[in-house]
Order: sequence, then structure tokens, then C-alpha cells
Amino acid sequence: MTTLDRLVLGSPRLQTPVLDPPYQTWVLSNGNIWTEFYRTATGYLLRFPNLADFKVSLNGEKVACFPAPDVFDVASYLIQHLYINQVLPLALSKQGELVFHASAVEIDQIAVAFVAESRRGKSTLAASFATNGFRFITDDGLVVKSSASGFEIVPSHPSLRLREDSQSVLVSPAVTRDPTFDHSSKVQYLAGGDLAFCEKPRPIRRMYFLGDGKVTSVEITRLTAAETSIELIRHAFLLDPEDRQGLARHFDHAVKLANQGFHYRLDYPRKFDELAQVRQAIITHALQES
Amino acid sequence: MKLPLNASIPQQVISRTVGEEIVILDLTAGTYFGLDAVGAYIWHHISDGKTFVEICDLVCGEYDVKREVVEHDILSLIEELKARGLLLMVD
Repeated sequence: MTTLDRLVLGSPRLQTPVLDPPYQTWVLSNGNIWTEFYRTATGYLLRFPNLADFKVSLNGEKVACFPAPDVFDVASYLIQHLYINQVLPLALSKQGELVFHASAVEIDQIAVAFVAESRRGKSTLAASFATNGFRFITDDGLVVKSSASGFEIVPSHPSLRLREDSQSVLVSPAVTRDPTFDHSSKVQYLAGGDLAFCEKPRPIRRMYFLGDGKVTSVEITRLTAAETSIELIRHAFLLDPEDRQGLARHFDHAVKLANQGFHYRLDYPRKFDELAQVRQAIITHALQES
Repeated sequence: MKLPLNASIPQQVISRTVGEEIVILDLTAGTYFGLDAVGAYIWHHISDGKTFVEICDLVCGEYDVKREVVEHDILSLIEELKARGLLLMVD
């Protein structure tokens, strides 16, 4: 899924103004615009201001990138990061795939997913498992596919991005870093050695929706299928929310996944020195029969 | 407090049964709303084109609740659905 072969890399070019206003804008916590979404005659334009433009075909199957001229020197790392972590999940959603803002780890050959918006601890949890005898399957852009036996999670790019506070606690100096950029405020680590990665799809046993951390101990509560449907839609990557047919199809897939009955709310105090207990609580819960 | 006669579901609103509940999605607004088992029961009958008086009769028959309570609860539900653009009142 994360192969870069599908990405066509164009020549650097200036980001000329677009006539029509964006139909969607993603804004960083500091107020800077991260991504602008435009419709074009042939599909979509995703603009990362001062970084790169990505043109996505109407069906999401073709993606071309045009770096901004000033970032050409580090373009290869930048393009990989933007494509794999931002653009590809959106393109896949247009192809009808279920893609979520979630990380996932492998426990006893089954997949456990952690679904949440930014800054809730998805990557920290994944890194915590991957540096303590388990393997991570994805850091974000979690792809869920139907299989003969139910649903499975497909591995993504073998890298994990962590904020500064998590890096120093979880990752040993032996783990390889990728170059980073100020705008992301995270460091990207490559899998290998002390950061174990699972490169095969795994059947899903649990999907945990992370709470806000305002608890004093680990809490795990089951979600109804209706609650799960709504949470899945909230946390899905969707390139074009105004594509009614696509949205309806997505809704149907989410309901089918919600009906599997393995969805829970998970909340825990966000304290690094309690991560081992959180891991154990998750392992115990995940390995119980549903 | 008087129940309206009837309601219709706007074209851009779809719903799916999930267990005993229903999840409603407004494809235009991209918003969603969940109904519990009783709400789902009422929604099904609205979808079938029943009047609110008929729905009250059915709910009173199905659940052992006083009619005035049923009317109040149905009115509250339809007011909320209407406010969210998920129902259109029919005179």
C-alpha cells in the first residue's frame, strides 16, 4: 500500500494562485494553513503551502507531485512524508477504501487499533508496544480491508512519527531517524532493530477509540454499533466530503465494520511512567474472547 | 402542545440500522445522528409514511407508557430532528 511507485514526481514549480476558493482547509494548531483542497477539471489539487502540490485523479488512483522550488533540496524526504502520511490515505478513501486516523499494533498475531484525532497518543501507544516486544503495523492512515474471515489491517510505511516528549522516553538512540521539518513538529523514525514492524496484514481483534486522558486509571468501555459507526465516520480520511455517492458508500462500509462488535472506548492517564500498565491492560483485554 | 400531522425525510438524508439503533447521515451537511431503539422504531414508521397520531398509537401499543408521555417524547424527538435538518414537516 505504501509503495511510492504509484506516485509520479513532477518538476518543481511555483504554486500559482487558484481561482476558486478551497472546498476544505486544514489548519495547524498555530493557525498556519497546512493543506488546501481544490477541485479541478480532472480531480483534485491538494496544496501544502510553500511545500508541494499534489494532483489527485477523480477516482483517486493517480497522484502526481510538484514540489515548491525552495524545498527541492530535501524534496525526496518531504515528498515521501507528505504522500504517505497525508495524500495517500485521502486518495485511497476516494477509491472506496476505509482509512482512519489510527495506529495499530500486533499482539499475538492479531491487530489492535488505536483511533483518535491528533495529539491523543496514537503514535505514543504504537511506539510503546513496538519498543517492548511487540510490532507496530501502522502509525496513521490505517487501512482496513474486508477479508474472508472478517476485517484486517494492512501495514503502512515502516516508520513512526513522535513528538519530542515521547521521543526521549520511548526511542533509543540506535533507532534511525529521518530528516524532519519544523512544520511537522515531529521526528520520523524508521522501523528496524529496536523499533519492530509487522509487514503482514493482521485480522482485527479490537479497535479502541482514545479518550482525552482526564481519568486516573485505565478505563475500557464497550461501544454500541451505532456509537461506533459515528466514531468511524468522524475519524475517517475522506478526500471529498461533498461526494454524496462516495460518502454513502463509506457510510455503508463503516456500518458493516461497526457491526463486528469489537469496538471500545479506551482512556488512561497520559503519563509515560504508567505506559507499561496501560500496555498490559490493553493486552489482557484484547486477548479475551469477545 | 400539538403533534404535527406528518413528516418526510429529505432526499439527502440516509439512514442505516445498526443493531437495534439507527444512524442517520445528512449527505449534504456531512452530519450524523444516532437514534436508540425507541427512536429507531419511530423513525421506521416515519419512513413508512405514517402520521404522528398513528405512530403514537403504535408506540402506546408496543410500550406500556401513557399517551401524553409518548406524545411529549415524540414531539421532542421530531423537533430535534427538524432542527438538524433531518425531517421536513408536512402540513
